[in-house]
Amino acid sequence: MSAHKPRILVIDDEPQIHRFLGPALEAAGYEPVRADTAADGLAAIANRPPDAVVLDLGLPDLDGTQALIRARAFYEGPIIILSARDMEMEKIEALDLGADDYVEKPFHVGELLARLRVAMRHALNRAGAPALIHAGDIEIDLVKRLISRGGEPVRLSPREYDLLAHLAAGGGKVLTHRQLLTAVWGPANVEDVQYLRVFVGHLRQKLEADPANPRYVVTEPGVGYRFMAD
Amino acid sequence: MNQDAPNRPDPDALLAEAKRQGRGRLRVYLGMAPGVGKTYEMLTAGKRREKEGVDVVVGVVETHGRKDTEAMIAGLEVLPRQPIEYRGRQLMEFDLDGALARRPKLLLVDEYAHTNAPGSRHPKRWQDVEELLEAGIDVWTTLNVQHLESLVDVVWKITGVRVRETVPDSALSAANEIEVVDITPDELRERLNAGKVYVPETARVAATNFFKPENLTALREMALRRAAQTVDDQMVDAMRRQGIEGPWAAGERILVLIAGDGMSSALVRAGRRLADLMNAPWTVANVERPNRPNRDPQAARRVAEALKLAEQLGGASVVLTGDDLPDAVLAFAGRNNVTQIVVGKSRDSRWRILTGRSLANALLRRSGGAALHFVTAGAPEERTAPVETAPRRRPHWWRGYAAALVLVALANGAAFVLDAYSTGADLAMIFLASVLGAGLAYGLRPALAAAGLAIVTYNYLFLEPRFTLVIGHATDVFTFAIFIAVAGATGWLSGRVRDQAQLSAQRASAVTALLAASRRLSAASTQDETAQALAEQASAAAGGRAVVLLPKGEDLVQAAGAPTTVLLTTGALAAARWAWEKGEPAGAGTGTLPQVGWTFRPLVGVRGRAGVAGVEVGDTAGADEERLVSAMLDQGAVALERAELAAATVENEALRRSDKLRAALLNSISHDLRTPLATVMGSATTLIDYGKTLKPEVRGDLLISIREEAERLNRYVGDLLDMTRLEGGALKTRSEWTDVRDVLAAAVGRVSRRLESRKLTRDFPHELSAVETDPGLLEQAIVNILENAIAYSPDGSAIDVAAYEDRGNVVISIEDEGPGIPQSDIERIFEKFRRLEEPSDRTPRGDRNKGAGLGLSIAKGFVEAMGGRIAAASPLVAGRGTRILISLPKATPTHRLLL
Repeated sequence: MSAHKPRILVIDDEPQIHRFLGPALEAAGYEPVRADTAADGLAAIANRPPDAVVLDLGLPDLDGTQALIRARAFYEGPIIILSARDMEMEKIEALDLGADDYVEKPFHVGELLARLRVAMRHALNRAGAPALIHAGDIEIDLVKRLISRGGEPVRLSPREYDLLAHLAAGGGKVLTHRQLLTAVWGPANVEDVQYLRVFVGHLRQKLEADPANPRYVVTEPGVGYRFMAD
Repeated sequence: MNQDAPNRPDPDALLAEAKRQGRGRLRVYLGMAPGVGKTYEMLTAGKRREKEGVDVVVGVVETHGRKDTEAMIAGLEVLPRQPIEYRGRQLMEFDLDGALARRPKLLLVDEYAHTNAPGSRHPKRWQDVEELLEAGIDVWTTLNVQHLESLVDVVWKITGVRVRETVPDSALSAANEIEVVDITPDELRERLNAGKVYVPETARVAATNFFKPENLTALREMALRRAAQTVDDQMVDAMRRQGIEGPWAAGERILVLIAGDGMSSALVRAGRRLADLMNAPWTVANVERPNRPNRDPQAARRVAEALKLAEQLGGASVVLTGDDLPDAVLAFAGRNNVTQIVVGKSRDSRWRILTGRSLANALLRRSGGAALHFVTAGAPEERTAPVETAPRRRPHWWRGYAAALVLVALANGAAFVLDAYSTGADLAMIFLASVLGAGLAYGLRPALAAAGLAIVTYNYLFLEPRFTLVIGHATDVFTFAIFIAVAGATGWLSGRVRDQAQLSAQRASAVTALLAASRRLSAASTQDETAQALAEQASAAAGGRAVVLLPKGEDLVQAAGAPTTVLLTTGALAAARWAWEKGEPAGAGTGTLPQVGWTFRPLVGVRGRAGVAGVEVGDTAGADEERLVSAMLDQGAVALERAELAAATVENEALRRSDKLRAALLNSISHDLRTPLATVMGSATTLIDYGKTLKPEVRGDLLISIREEAERLNRYVGDLLDMTRLEGGALKTRSEWTDVRDVLAAAVGRVSRRLESRKLTRDFPHELSAVETDPGLLEQAIVNILENAIAYSPDGSAIDVAAYEDRGNVVISIEDEGPGIPQSDIERIFEKFRRLEEPSDRTPRGDRNKGAGLGLSIAKGFVEAMGGRIAAASPLVAGRGTRILISLPKATPTHRLLL
């Protein structure tokens, strides 16, 4: 991490949110930047790109997904979405449109900060993807296409490997059903969520100590999956 | 036929076959005469079927007391008959609805040609059978050959008996199977003599004549031939279906011309027989002359009946138009490859034959390749119905002739006065003037009468030698000849001019009526208005009462009437339902329920049936009115459809808006509940995780924000609960003597911390009457109003709270200096979630202190629950400020003092 404090832009129209998020971010070693509208936020990103963006989807001046599309046009850094639990579709749409992760309101500050860390680490890794990924006793070698668990090689079918490699390359980031299906099965199969269920089941059988309570391949209900690397 | 693809099945045949599938199958037991044992045969076969396990029911069977027939019925289920009142007698008729409800696989229905009692749904039993087949029930029935429509004439010629109960030939052709029940004529006569044939007592003599051996032989031949022909037709049909090149006659086409005289129906029957022989399609045509008003309603009726008969017998019907009769006919014949033309050669057209102007002669000269068949008039059959044959002349038809007489008499008078001063030629002019006048005023025939009268009187009174019809001078002969010619021509021309003018006037009035109807229909916006407009216009056009019925759910209800008080009888309603369900006209003048006195037509628009219109049949309705009404109904159907679509659109729009509102509501509740929660949780977790590293003032601020947001959440939940209590009807109000000033003070106290730097002024009088109210609810209402005032007014402005008495009420007034409310919205500020619909630029950024927009709505609900009223006024001064007034009735102290 560079010497300067990472700048986190918070775009939210609720003053109360800024009131506690500002001190919290500061205390965690970040430099918070406040924006109350989508327009202010986009201007702030354009002026001086922050290290990460926290974007509330319920903004008064612009639909949250629209704000996201505009931001993604010139900003590649991590974007974390703040959304309500009942706005499922909005959330998935935002992820598909390029948001890195989401946090549901109301949230623990610790959870938001953890998501922010994962997203920023992932953004750093994006340039040179790591060859080796570790998760507990699992080791994934993306160059040699080898998987081992506790030193023992694990045999995966090509599809299973593709799926695991995509999840692992996400580095703890949630991947939507649509993103995974498009990447592994191709764009024609984006609706076939049941494939995904079956193959995730296979992966858990082969990788998890207790497939019924998975630690590594974690379900985000209704949204997608994430791989919990170390 | 099928030359390009010889083995492809004929599509028409396949279509007909497809139509037959799903229909019940019809078997006809055909006999030559009563007594051959058709019913017995049918029952025997029916019983056999029943033994095989088929669901067989006897719909109606006439046993005529014969023991063996009665024995056959025993063991079969017999449908109860339906009693029908007719002229004081009770007739037991076949119960069609009962049969349809019972839905057997096979129904036995005796006497196909039976005429139902008036008041039944169909006039004829074969129509009942048609409905049964349509419903998918197999039917067996019995028929004697003399009841076949096309054979009526032949039977009459052979036996001298004119059969009244007839069945159209198409009803027999529709049979899937025909079983001929045949015994020899001798055998039948033996049975008759042995009393085994049922013959009513009154008809015994006639029966003996009918059952003569030669008659029976002829009838037997007809029955056998008809059965053979049906078998033949079925074979040809089968071959056509399978695409086999047939031996059927190629390309024969028959055209039957009718003119509305007495032989029209005989011609149609002759055409049908010829068509049967040739196995050729046939068409019956009548030629209308557009420039001649149809003067004879009886002829029009005959034409209509003949065309209907043609369709019943399986032919097509067409009305041609053209001034030149042979031209119109031959043009049609040429277009349609007609090879056979059937025309009548009536006895009363001798004059026309002599002058060579008869249609027959013209056709003979010009018919080209077509063969001509002349049918001579037989008996004057149409004279048998005396009630109908009385010609309906126009009222006062004699007026024209009387006027002609008067005009010529006047001319005589004038001529007599002028006689002394002028010559004969001048006098002739006066007579011509009278002829012209008669023609212009009363039409062709009175003009010709006037001309004749003028010629005679002129000659008799004014041409030398006078008082004789002899002409003395040679020059007068010449003058008189010219006079005759000019008088005739004048009369004819002026008469024609007047008739045509009248005709165009009639058409113009029809067009005007249509235009008016169309204008009224397009002005109507709702379905009911459209229906009413349609009923009124149809009533005006038909000259009788009219109704419009529209579907409502499963039912058909009267939506409009002209006059509006029209009440349909049960029978008329049944006819209307029939028209609706079958999509065909019903009632008077149709084959279904003709006795009801109303004609019902389905209103068929672009997308299907829109309703039913009924017109009461008046005495004056003619073909023109009929056409006008039917054109109007077409317009009406489209208009009704349009109204229905418009209504559906409005309904959809309302639904869409309410959906949108519900989504916004959910969104708002979700947001308003979750934002304070998010703040509380976020601040709390920040304190937990980073409490030690935060500066003390930041820690304090976070704690304050937790308290504020918890309060906000509490207020909001309270609002939602209040709203639920109001809406759910669970609100219970206490009633106690209350000093409004105390309540106001408490409410102000509750909001004081949120006033910030707003100045709150109070203006209460020293003496204020008490009110009888629920102090808790009143306090909440006032708090809501105060919070609203705080939320909508800038910091540092003033809020004025006042209370005073006004005409028996205690009034509370709360004023703010906020931006005010536009006049158009003032009525709506008490609506629930009012805030949702505000344009976003009026909402100060980030200011969510306003709540969900429930406050004022709850205040109104509470105040009204306590019997008070609430109102708003805005703007107050210079476009700013809002005042809310609560008015509560003063308590009446009397009973309190007594306690």
